[in-house]
Amino acid sequence: MEKYAVYVPRLVKKRENFAPGHRACIGCGEALAVRLAFKALDNNVIVANATGCMEIVASQIPNSSWHLPWIHTLFENAAAVASGIEAAYKAMRRKGMDVPNNVKVVAIGGDGATSDIGLQAISGALERGHDFTYICFDNEAYMNTGIQRSSATPFGAVTTTSPAGKKSFGQFTWKKNMPEIAAAHNIPYVATACHSYPFDLMEKVKKAVNTPGPAYVHVLSVCPTGWRSATDTVIRLGRLAVETGIFPLYEVENGQYKMSIDLPKLKPIQSYLKGQGRFRHLSDDLIAQIQERVKLEYEKLLGKAKNGNKRTKRNR
Amino acid sequence: MVKLTINGRKIQAEEGTTILYAARDNNIFIPTLCENEAVSPYGACRLCLVQIKTARGRERLVTSCIYLVEEGLTVETNTERIRKIRGVLLELLLARCPDSEVIQEMAAKEGITITRFYKRKGNNKCILCANCARTCEEVVGVSAISLANRGVDRELTTPFGDDFSEACIGCGSCAYSCPTGAITLIDRGSKRTIKWPHNRMEFKLQKCSVCGNYWAPEKQIAYIAKTSGTKLSEYVACPDCRD
Ligand SMILES: Cc1ncc(C[n+]2csc(CCOP(=O)(O)OP(=O)(O)O)c2C)c(N)n1
Ligand code: SF4
Ligand code: SF4
Ligand code: FES
Ligand SMILES: [Mg+2]
Repeated sequence: MEKYAVYVPRLVKKRENFAPGHRACIGCGEALAVRLAFKALDNNVIVANATGCMEIVASQIPNSSWHLPWIHTLFENAAAVASGIEAAYKAMRRKGMDVPNNVKVVAIGGDGATSDIGLQAISGALERGHDFTYICFDNEAYMNTGIQRSSATPFGAVTTTSPAGKKSFGQFTWKKNMPEIAAAHNIPYVATACHSYPFDLMEKVKKAVNTPGPAYVHVLSVCPTGWRSATDTVIRLGRLAVETGIFPLYEVENGQYKMSIDLPKLKPIQSYLKGQGRFRHLSDDLIAQIQERVKLEYEKLLGKAKNGNKRTKRNR
Repeated sequence: MVKLTINGRKIQAEEGTTILYAARDNNIFIPTLCENEAVSPYGACRLCLVQIKTARGRERLVTSCIYLVEEGLTVETNTERIRKIRGVLLELLLARCPDSEVIQEMAAKEGITITRFYKRKGNNKCILCANCARTCEEVVGVSAISLANRGVDRELTTPFGDDFSEACIGCGSCAYSCPTGAITLIDRGSKRTIKWPHNRMEFKLQKCSVCGNYWAPEKQIAYIAKTSGTKLSEYVACPDCRD
C-alpha cells in the first residue's frame, strides 16, 4: 500500500472525523494516528474511547474534536462499552425499531488501557464475537498521567516508574505482544500499523471495520514527550521502528499471517534507539540483547507468514 | 446556503454541492461506486440514484453524485422504487463482474445474491467507471489509459490495446482508485507489474543507494523530477534515507 504513496495523498477524502485544535503535544504521533484511522472511515461510526491522552486532549468541555458520536468510557472498559453498543443495535433491530443497518462500532484505547487494565474486557469482547473493531494506540507507556511504564513499554526504556540508575537500566521486561494475544482469540482480522505508513494504516482500519465480527488493530504511536525525542522526528521514528524490525507491520486474516512490507534487510536497532532519550543510558551489551531479541521475534513472524503463504497456495 | 429536504429532514447545504455530498455531511447514506471527490464527477455506476421533487413540483430520478442541490428540493434516498431499480443495477453489475468481491458485498447488503442476467466469463472486475482514467489524467497528469470503443465493445485500455503505454509512469494511482479491484499492482524485487483489465506492463524499480530497498519506478522518478524541476541526482536515496 505504501508503494502508492506519491499521488494517493490527493486521492484520499478530505473530510476529517477528528478535527484539529485539540490539546495534544507538539508532534504527537498518537493524535496523528487517531486522525488517520478515522479519516479512513465514513461517519456511520460510534466511538468508545478509554481514558488516556486521546480522550483528555480532544474533549475539553465545551469543545470536542470528534465529528462522530463518541463515548468516554472508564480506563478499563472501552471494549465492554463497545460490546454493549453493538448488542443494543442488534436488540433494537430485532425489536423492529427503525435504526440504520450500517452502524459500525469502534473502541479505542492507549497501551495501558489495552494491554494492562482493559485486557479482560477486550478478551471478553473478542471471545463473544461482537461485530466491532478495537484499535490500540500504543505509545508504550501511560503518557496521560506522566509517563509510567505499562506492559507495552519496551525493554530498556526509561519511564518514571522504570527509571535508569545504579540499580536499574529502565524497563526490565519485554514488551507484551498484544497483537498475538488478539490473534490467539482466532478472530477474523488482526493487524499492526503505524502513523508513519499512513495509507497502510488507513487501509487496515477500513478493512478491520468492514470485517464482520471482531477485529483488532495495534498502532504504534510515537510520543515525543514520553520518549524524550525531538518533535520533528516522529515520522522518522515510526519508519525506523518498522525498518529495524522492532515493530513489524503485518496482518492476520482468518489465521493467515501476511507481512505488509517486504524488507530485504533490517536496519540495525541502534538507528531506532539513538534518537530517543528514553534509551540514552543503554550499554552496548543491552543494545546487543535487544538486537538479538528483535531478530528472533522477526524471524518467528516471517516463519508464520511463510507457512501462511504456502497454505494458501495449496488450498487454491 | 441552499435549503432542501432529504428523507424528511430539513438540511442546509453550500451552493454548488451535489446532493450526495449534502447527504453525506448529514449522515445520510447513499451507496456509490464510481464517486471519488478527488476527480470530476462522472455518473457511471448509477448506484447513487435518488428520487427528487423540485420546488416547481417536477418529479424524477437523478444520480446524486452529479445533481447539484437546489432551493426547495425534496429528496428521497431509499424508497421502494429506488430499491427496485438499484437492485436491477446491482444484478447487472453482478452479471458483468461475477468475480468482484466489492460488488458481491454491495449486492448482498441489498439482499441480492443471484443475478437473472447472463454472467460474463473471465475474471474481469471492470465496471467502466473511468475512475482510473480520470485519476491518471486529472491527478497524475499523464493520461496513460482511457476508455475506448462504444457499446458492448467499450473497455478500459492502454493506447492501441498494447501491453505498453508510453505515458504511464507506473505510479499505481489507477489501482488505488479503482473501486472494484480490477487493477492490480505487484512489486517483486526490482520489478513492478501493473495489470489492467485487458493489458499489463512491467516497470523497473529504482534501488536506494543507502538501504538498498527498491522504492519507486524509474519512470515515476523521472516524471517527478521533470515536473518539479529538480535534479535526478536528488533521488538516488529513498525518502527514508534522504536527509
Ligand atoms: C481505574 C483507573 N486507574 C487509573 C486512572 C488514571 N489514568 C487515566 S489515563 C491513564 C493512563 C493512560 O495510559 P494509556 O492507556 O497508555 O494511554 P495514553 O495516555 O498513553 O495515550 C491513567 C493511569 C483511571 N482513569 N482509572
Ligand atoms: S503525551 Fe505523548 S501521546 Fe500524549 S498527547 Fe503528548 S505526545 Fe501525544
Ligand atoms: S479498471 Fe476500475 S477504475 Fe478503471 S474503469 Fe474499470 S472499474 Fe473503473
Ligand atoms: S456514484 Fe453516482 S453514478 Fe456512481
Ligand atoms: Mg500509552
